[in-house]
Amino acid sequence: MDIKDFLKEFNRRCGFDFSDYSTNSISRRLSKICEEMGLSFEQILNMVVADKQLVQTIVEDITVNTTELFRDPSVWTAYAQLLPKHLPKQTMSTIWHIGCSKGLEVYSNLIIINELGLQDRCRVFGTDINPTVLENAQKGVYPYSFNKGYVDNFNTVMHSLNLNTPFEKYFSIDEQADTMTVSPTLRQQARFLPQDLVKDRAPFAYRVDVVFLRNVMIYFNEQLQNRVLSNVLEKMHDGALFIMGKQEDIPQAMKSRLLRQGPFYKKFK
Amino acid sequence: MATSQYKAIVIGGSAGSYAVVSKIVAALPPDFPLPVIICMHRLKHVRAGFVEALNDKSQLNVIEPYDKQPVERGNVYVAPANYHLFVEYDATLSLSIEEPHLFCRPAIDHTLSSAAKTWRDKLIGIILTGANKDGAQGLKDIADRGGYTIVQDPATADVPTMPRAALRLLQPSATLPPQGIIDFLKSIR
Ligand SMILES: C[S@@+](CC[C@H](N)C(=O)[O-])C[C@H]1O[C@@H](n2cnc3c(N)ncnc32)[C@H](O)[C@@H]1O
Repeated sequence: MDIKDFLKEFNRRCGFDFSDYSTNSISRRLSKICEEMGLSFEQILNMVVADKQLVQTIVEDITVNTTELFRDPSVWTAYAQLLPKHLPKQTMSTIWHIGCSKGLEVYSNLIIINELGLQDRCRVFGTDINPTVLENAQKGVYPYSFNKGYVDNFNTVMHSLNLNTPFEKYFSIDEQADTMTVSPTLRQQARFLPQDLVKDRAPFAYRVDVVFLRNVMIYFNEQLQNRVLSNVLEKMHDGALFIMGKQEDIPQAMKSRLLRQGPFYKKFK
Repeated sequence: MATSQYKAIVIGGSAGSYAVVSKIVAALPPDFPLPVIICMHRLKHVRAGFVEALNDKSQLNVIEPYDKQPVERGNVYVAPANYHLFVEYDATLSLSIEEPHLFCRPAIDHTLSSAAKTWRDKLIGIILTGANKDGAQGLKDIADRGGYTIVQDPATADVPTMPRAALRLLQPSATLPPQGIIDFLKSIR
């Protein structure tokens, strides 16, 4: 049985459609799963109907969920400089992080929003296919010594915005337990909800002013990118900001609908 | 060397390989017939200006590729900082932020192994000086599929760990000093 057949059958039995993910990445991750579990594609398919935990594990292992606080600091600086001008003055704005993983990108954004004093004007959603990472996002607890780079990124961004804000304003560090925990204020400002971008609509009713879709579509083929992007575009206000990963580009077919503006895109009116 | 035989060159090295890499990209002629893909470990702080500096030295177009960018001659692709760089079956490049491999992101093994799957015996793989064994398995994958493999002579390497690790895993087509690698590449028509 080849990967294509496996993914098709996995979708039929479990309702997760990975058939339009990039072949290279998915085949590497699937062979790793088979190897580690000592199971063939056929054996996995025989087990998934009864074993929901196994389905969950496979979804988690297929999708890449690494993330970082203020990944690519210069992008965040540019974002912070643009945001006050971009958001409408009179109404509440909606910001959506798609594929938010463990929430660090959402918290990066909320830190900027609080530093700019915009917290009462924004609602911020983070969505992901994987309930386990969302639980982690909600709790806001992360390993500390392994992630000291977060503090460097934080300081780089604050410094470039001429702010002296200490890391401890937003995170409490427990050296003994080797954890850092997001402040209760930030946690209350974030709303994390499950959504499978391939088949579900956005899990909220608002139109969106800013979309973060970083390092998610690099795992999709171009066909799926187009499909996903047109759904996301429908949810965005004209002129809304669209932010991808540093080395990502929108697919050719979508170039007439999103205009490049420095490191970002804007939905064409 | 007769050339139409090969489709691409992949090069791996760690932080100390910058000097060798910049000599290589400076030496390649503007009509060099093969695309070059370089995966280099970088020190966290040398980010800005790194690729621009290589591009200034080279007559080829040195770039950090975007996800899904096709591989074309005339270009030298350098794995972007903090991303793994893979070659897809349709000879486009793809990026991933998945876990570091042997503490490295980008990881040379990922670039070399995926390139080996795509180009098989039509690939030239080169391992340069470096302080990590990442890259050895990737070069072996190239050798196993009949590609041409070169290891920088450990005696000429600033840090010989990487070439030595490769030599432990495979017998390369050639073991060469930096100038030998450059002469070899320039002989490709
Ligand atoms: C590499 S992480 C990126 C996290 C964050 N955006 C960043 O750049 O740091 C990719 C995330 O996309 C999520 N994802 C993958 N496929 C998805 C889908 N079909 N629907 C929703 N989320 C998905 C994964 O679960 C993972 O958490």
